[in-house]
Amino acid sequence: MGDMLQDLLPLIWTGAITGCLYAIGALGLVMIFKATRVVNFAHGNMAGLAAFVVYTLTAQGMGLGWALAVVAALGLVVVLALASYGVLAKVSERSDLRGTIGTLGVGLILQGATQVVFGADIVNLDLPVPRWGASVGGLRITSYDVTVLAVTTLVVGTLFVVIERTRLGIAFRAVSTNPFASRVCGLNLVAVQGVAWGVAAALGVIAALLIVPTTFLSSTTVAAFMLQSFAAAVLGGFSSLPGSILGGLVVGIAMNLFSYFVSPELNATFLLVLILVALNVFPGGILPQRGGGSRA
Amino acid sequence: MPDGMSVAEPVAMNVARRSRAWSRDAVLLLALALLPTTLGGFWVYGIGVCMANAMAVLSVSFLLRYGGEVSIGHSFFLALGAYTVAILERQAGVSVAIGLPVAALAGVLLGLGFAWPSRKLSGIYLAVATMALALAVPELILQLGPVAGGYEGLYVAKAPLPGIPLDLQRYYLPLVVLAMAVVLLRRFRHSRQGLALLTARDHPRAAEAFGFSRGFARLAAFAISAGIAAIAGALLAFSASTVSPNSYTLWTAIYLLVGSVISLSGLGLVAALVGGAFITLVPQLLAAWGDWVPILYGFALLVVVILGDRPAETLTKLRGRIGGGRHG
Repeated sequence: MGDMLQDLLPLIWTGAITGCLYAIGALGLVMIFKATRVVNFAHGNMAGLAAFVVYTLTAQGMGLGWALAVVAALGLVVVLALASYGVLAKVSERSDLRGTIGTLGVGLILQGATQVVFGADIVNLDLPVPRWGASVGGLRITSYDVTVLAVTTLVVGTLFVVIERTRLGIAFRAVSTNPFASRVCGLNLVAVQGVAWGVAAALGVIAALLIVPTTFLSSTTVAAFMLQSFAAAVLGGFSSLPGSILGGLVVGIAMNLFSYFVSPELNATFLLVLILVALNVFPGGILPQRGGGSRA
Repeated sequence: MPDGMSVAEPVAMNVARRSRAWSRDAVLLLALALLPTTLGGFWVYGIGVCMANAMAVLSVSFLLRYGGEVSIGHSFFLALGAYTVAILERQAGVSVAIGLPVAALAGVLLGLGFAWPSRKLSGIYLAVATMALALAVPELILQLGPVAGGYEGLYVAKAPLPGIPLDLQRYYLPLVVLAMAVVLLRRFRHSRQGLALLTARDHPRAAEAFGFSRGFARLAAFAISAGIAAIAGALLAFSASTVSPNSYTLWTAIYLLVGSVISLSGLGLVAALVGGAFITLVPQLLAAWGDWVPILYGFALLVVVILGDRPAETLTKLRGRIGGGRHG
């Protein structure tokens, strides 16, 4: 029993850390869904492309600073997100389904572009933080963990202050609750939706840059990572921002426990079962909805 | 996507169009049936695989049309059909003639089980769940262990009919099954059940007043679609003669959707063959520029999605906007 607990605590800890990243990815998916009723299947491909841009810009030869490279990648991704939104806005107005198929098209293009430009290489992309680790009550906490926690707190905090306290946030909530009524009230629908797409894409990049150091970067890793974010979003009800954060933590911890105690070779199957169970048990998401999109 | 097909159509126009479609399909089928007499083995093989893929495209189109739902997980049902045939041949020594009906049944049952949790929710939840389904396929196949042949996969080489060369059977079985499927689907379109599914999709409240719930309609549409996909998988295993985990990835499923969207999700013979040929031949033709295939497919998806059901109108409108609004 004592052994079990000794295993359990670190597993929950590392699961929660990766869970934070799933949550950041899921926040982007949910923002786009709330603003435009589109499930963005290109989310992972876009973030993967950005990670490769950062890798190339910081590699020897280019020698750009890390921060500058990230800013460049964020800029590129925001432009791409706005372009996708521009292309798909009219389409998704007529039918959500068609908009969602459109995002698959965007995803395919970005995936192909990543392969054409950066090849099928597998590379390492680390964070520019000094390596250290400390033991706190039997838990080993590394600089990576602290970085992830700090970035997550900052990102989530800023996002919630903006959404709860600013005019832009109120506009976003209005548009996600009732686009027609918000347009009647004189809100600029296109601007609000565009901001949502841009912010969501940036969130995806942040999650990607933080997850890549734990594995490696290839043309498919980030897209595969986003499946966890999709599961987190579904757990949260797909239209609840707090729900998707909780969903991310649940997915992260559950995945970690599952792959340690059962099998690391059935991760995707576990996620599938998790999604199906969540749809059945929590059809409205694990947190109560505050309005702004029902599921049916 | 399925806005092009409505429950009610003017009857006279409908009859004329249908008889024209019948004769066109008959000519096409005859031509396909005669092809192996003039073409070499490579082409016969290739077109056989095209027809099996056409069946797979039909399954996705059926879901889009009758269920109004997107699936990027149909590689699961393809793999289910293919491995059912391969494993039955290996373990029980029976040919695709037994394997195919078993595969169809398994497809329908697992389709029901998969669609059950999201039956009352909007289509996007199903779409997300199908993505997880597709990603789980390769690891599930490997989990079957030596029965499924691991990474290398299995061969399918038992002829269902004695006395006819196997190569020809690999061509004619998909042809016959595809023809039957197209005929059945056309009858389904005007059957009570088909109309009920369409009503439930377009006018859920009206359908419910007739005692036909949207949830039931979605389950039915998904189960039939999964059954068609499993049959397609069985055909694909038989025509291509091998099955392996690499052939059933998320990409397979997305490409099926591309094939369906490219063929405007039609359920006729021509649409199915166009979709099947597109996803079979394009990767072959572009083998040297493999990385460009997703880009091409992505643009194809976007173009079809943007142009929509009435491409001519949309183009005129676009031209009008570009040309300074002369056309309206």
